[in-house]
Amino acid sequence: MTIVPLSNLRPGDKATIDSIEAGMGLTRRLLDLGVTPGEQVEVMRLARFGGPFEIRVRGSELSIGRGIAAKVLVRREE
Amino acid sequence: MVSGHPVHASGGKAPLKTKLVMALAGNCNVGKSVVFNQLTGLHQHIGNWPGKTVEKAEGTTNFEGTTVDVVDLPGIYSLSTYSIEERVTLEYIMTDRPDVVVNVVDASLLERNLYFTIQLLEAEAPLVLALNQVDEAQKKGISTDTRKLEQQLSIPVVPMIAVRGIGFHELMTAARDTGLRKSERKVILVKYGPEVETHVEAIVRTIERIQTGLPTRFVAVRLLEGDEYVRQLVARVNEEAINVADEHRRQLEEEHGHSAASVIASERYELVRKIVEACQSVTPRKFGLEDRLDEVTTTGILGYIIMAGVIALMFTAVFIVGDGVASMLGGSFSALQQTVVQALGGGVIAELVWGAVEGLMAGITLALPYIIPFYVIMAVLEDSGYLARMAFMMDGVMHTVGLHGKAFIPLVLGYGCNVPACLGCRIMETDRERTLAVFLTTLIPCAGRTIVILGLVGRYVGIEWALGLYALDLLVILALGRLAYKTLPGEPTGLIMEVPPYRVPHMSTVLKRTWFETSSFITMALPLMVLGSVFLKGLEVAGMLGPISSLLSPVSVGLLGLPSVAGVVLIFGVLRKELTLIMLAALSGTTNLSSVLTASQMVVFSVVAMFYVPCLGTVVALYKELGWKKTLTMIVAEITLAFAVGGLLSRVLPTLMALLT
Repeated sequence: MTIVPLSNLRPGDKATIDSIEAGMGLTRRLLDLGVTPGEQVEVMRLARFGGPFEIRVRGSELSIGRGIAAKVLVRREE
Repeated sequence: MVSGHPVHASGGKAPLKTKLVMALAGNCNVGKSVVFNQLTGLHQHIGNWPGKTVEKAEGTTNFEGTTVDVVDLPGIYSLSTYSIEERVTLEYIMTDRPDVVVNVVDASLLERNLYFTIQLLEAEAPLVLALNQVDEAQKKGISTDTRKLEQQLSIPVVPMIAVRGIGFHELMTAARDTGLRKSERKVILVKYGPEVETHVEAIVRTIERIQTGLPTRFVAVRLLEGDEYVRQLVARVNEEAINVADEHRRQLEEEHGHSAASVIASERYELVRKIVEACQSVTPRKFGLEDRLDEVTTTGILGYIIMAGVIALMFTAVFIVGDGVASMLGGSFSALQQTVVQALGGGVIAELVWGAVEGLMAGITLALPYIIPFYVIMAVLEDSGYLARMAFMMDGVMHTVGLHGKAFIPLVLGYGCNVPACLGCRIMETDRERTLAVFLTTLIPCAGRTIVILGLVGRYVGIEWALGLYALDLLVILALGRLAYKTLPGEPTGLIMEVPPYRVPHMSTVLKRTWFETSSFITMALPLMVLGSVFLKGLEVAGMLGPISSLLSPVSVGLLGLPSVAGVVLIFGVLRKELTLIMLAALSGTTNLSSVLTASQMVVFSVVAMFYVPCLGTVVALYKELGWKKTLTMIVAEITLAFAVGGLLSRVLPTLMALLT
């Protein structure tokens, strides 16, 4: 099991959220949208030109910018 | 778990109210505005929350003899007060104390939606749950046991399909009953796990006697989370309580190894999951048409091709409507001028009245062809879910100007007209992002500026030069975007956005919204445009144009190398940019502008017209969105920019053009 930033995942990958390494405001927004430690996350798709990640968490789909995805750490089974 | 017990009732019978205030709260994309529109019909008003750039929609409806004022609160996901929208909502529920709060939730995303519901319960809002879009949930294989959900939450739950008008009678009955029985209302206790609960209860004991206007338990939980807004609220009355709360937060974080905010959010979601599991059953479904559509429109090159097509279609729609309406108005306009001048027998009064009419026409020709289609398009894009996909695809590109994907739409639509584009920048989450997006939007050459660029440079100098100006504009936007991104105070925000499923927009909601948004802008902008126009006419009548021309000549002639008439022309251009071209012809007494300006002067003139003060309509929009301080700063910055670029070009261009030919 390794801990990697969410931005390292590719479409189709699933992982468990470990922690959010960001400022209070950003952490808060992610938590409120259901991106909480211990929760399953799946990468649905990736935009081109350095664009965002589309992820599925708690049954809803979210777009999060690549910079933000780098601040969400996930545990991946290997 | 969530449990209810009666609050000490005020004793005796409350007088039967025939007037109720009902607030609509909920996440984005749950059909809240459809509920609002179905309830209030044409009896609504769209404005701003006092002192905030957050939209406030209010309306009235009548239910079995009871007048109900309906307030549509902003779409939010939490009451954590990190965004203006969240603060507005909390302050409204706390200070205005509506008789009933209807929490609209999406039945197919119950888990995420109830997370907010739990917080409304903690805030002790008199709650009714509108379980909306049960049909769509059914299609996804999700069915909800309404009775069980009612038991779990201890509040009335009404299943609804708002777009088809189903469930409104039941909703209003439940809302009225809850609103009327306000005094016998139960306080519903949201209980956390034992570890968190110990700290919450300890903080409750510390702050029991402190008056903040918020429920004690709510304040305790927020203090434990470290909510800045609530901390400040408490700090004003009792500094010591903050220290106690901070100590508990530190302990909790030590016990869990995660931030307190994260622990509490996880617990809230855990609570919600149990509720959802108790009352919802899910049968997994197959990969459907919507998923296929989603895949095609957001992934790969085809997605971008489709997007280019949608944008092209948008512009065609705007220009077809715009052209048609403009030529129709144009005809009656010149006939009107004759009538006015004849009726008033010429002279100063006739001129001034004509000035007023011109301002009025400028306003109308702005509203009809541009603002109305803009709102329709914007609403359709938003409601259908395509806007979110466009933001997703363009996010990477928008980062080059320091903005995220959501700013793409206002910037693109700025090519049609800056006014609605500025208003559209509201979709940006923070003040910083909104200011930056609005600023860059005002630099996009709108249709009016396109007329100048194509009519002058495109026609007399060459189309490649005209296109060059657009390229120059993009370069300037890129440079200024990066500069502003670096210098504006505050944290840049990345994109975090819910991706709603594709849906067919609810047309009646779209049209009503367009109507109310447009009329609220017109009532604000029209008087200013009329006044501005009369003022300019007054200057002309008073024979001030000559003196102003010579006053401006150090800039127009000295700096920019233009004929002195250009100064006056540019002043009039503030009303509408395309007026510069018309006035240039009128004041020079010829329509062959190549006899008035040299090729390089044409380029300089167009560049200045492109960058200097945004037109009056845009200034009004800026003021409305950002306040006068930022508006003035932008005006000064843009005048400086226009003169700097224009001055530079006037020195370089003649040589450059000579070399090229």
